[in-house]
Amino acid sequence: MWSAFANPERFERLAARAVPWFGWGALILFAIGLPWALIFSPPDYQQGDTVRIMYVHVPAAWLSMAVYAGLGAASFVYFIWRHNIADLAAQALAPIGAVFAFLTLTTGSLWGRPMWGTWWEWDARLTSMLVLFLLYLGYMALRSAIEDERLAARAGAILAMAGLINLPIIKFSVDWWNTLHQPASVIRLDGPTIHASQLWPLAIMALAFTALMTALVFMNVRNMSLARRFEARVRQQIRNGGGGAV
Amino acid sequence: MMALRILFLRELHLAVAGGGGAAGPAAFMLAALALVPLGVGPDPEILRAAAPGVVAFAALLASLQGAERMFGDDLADGTLELYALSPVSLTGLALAKAGAFALGVLWPAPVIGFVAALAYGMDVQSAGVLAAALLLAVPGLALGAGFAGALAAGLSRAGLLIALIAAPLQVPLLVFVAGAGRAAMEDTGLAGANLMLAGAFSLAALALAPFGMAAALKARLE
Repeated sequence: MWSAFANPERFERLAARAVPWFGWGALILFAIGLPWALIFSPPDYQQGDTVRIMYVHVPAAWLSMAVYAGLGAASFVYFIWRHNIADLAAQALAPIGAVFAFLTLTTGSLWGRPMWGTWWEWDARLTSMLVLFLLYLGYMALRSAIEDERLAARAGAILAMAGLINLPIIKFSVDWWNTLHQPASVIRLDGPTIHASQLWPLAIMALAFTALMTALVFMNVRNMSLARRFEARVRQQIRNGGGGAV
Repeated sequence: MMALRILFLRELHLAVAGGGGAAGPAAFMLAALALVPLGVGPDPEILRAAAPGVVAFAALLASLQGAERMFGDDLADGTLELYALSPVSLTGLALAKAGAFALGVLWPAPVIGFVAALAYGMDVQSAGVLAAALLLAVPGLALGAGFAGALAAGLSRAGLLIALIAAPLQVPLLVFVAGAGRAAMEDTGLAGANLMLAGAFSLAALALAPFGMAAALKARLE
């Protein structure tokens, strides 16, 4: 079933059609979600207007985790079937996930200032996110350190799969560490329940983030795939005696 | 089996005899542990409270010191290719390497950890629990270092990469080892659970990491 997308040309055609759909979709969803979340949704009775940070923070956190799952899945597909598109997808996903993780940490810190009175709290979720951010950094550093593309792809795939296996254990250990050694009085970021007046803008913002991520991934994979085929053709041209139009 | 044993003994011999073996990481761990009080100040209460975490952290850093050489040297001089041609599978090679690293290089970590814990003001029993946790963590530390070392073998700036790759993956070990020492010190009754979790992580690493290392080596050799 993966093989249908393994053909670079077919994937490029699909991506060329998908990018505007997801790109415009993201734009429209942001046009609805941003004003709703940042202006029209009611302020929280406890947190006031600072609750609006949630509409950026929570979707970014969700996506940073979903993107790592995607990175692991793409790495698995590449590692087993050696489909280049899967590797390009992994390569495109990593920096996007890292940016989402960074966004989560930054907005979490900004939110923590009014809510906890500190810029940084060694809260289980913030700490797990920090470790996830480090996993992304390690993955990107490993790939960029290896010049040979094929080797970089395989080493990256192995690391991403190891990270995906280890991630639940890391999450457990950080929760374990946190419940043992922290007073449990920290205010929960999202509270136990969420009112519909906040849920709707949050859902739209989450969809907008997802659409934006999808458009960016398709765009980057298509660009890299085209660049790769272009380079291959140039090399072939040179082998065949050079000169002439590419 | 015979070939695997010969390989393991050779690796162990090289780890112990060649290039100082355990001395480098042990000295690194000692130096790190000696410098921490100079940084955080001599207050005995603070040092005692920080001891389990600092000791676990120093052991983790020390385990990464030799990781660069575990596969890097063999890759550079072609030994790795010869190993790949031997009857031992790459998974077996990974196991032998990590085992030799644990037994030949990392063995002083629990001892140094015990002495340092006492010097930081922990009582003997808690220091013993911390040392036991370190002992249980040594296989996990060796396998984690080997996995990062196999991925980064032969790259420029491999040391930096290994630290960046291994640090997030080894978070659970750090939590469980330090947690065991702290639980023993505070007498929360969870020292045993932390010890078991540290051992469980080592076992999980033993089950999975050799295959990851072998896959990384195979990609490198092809």
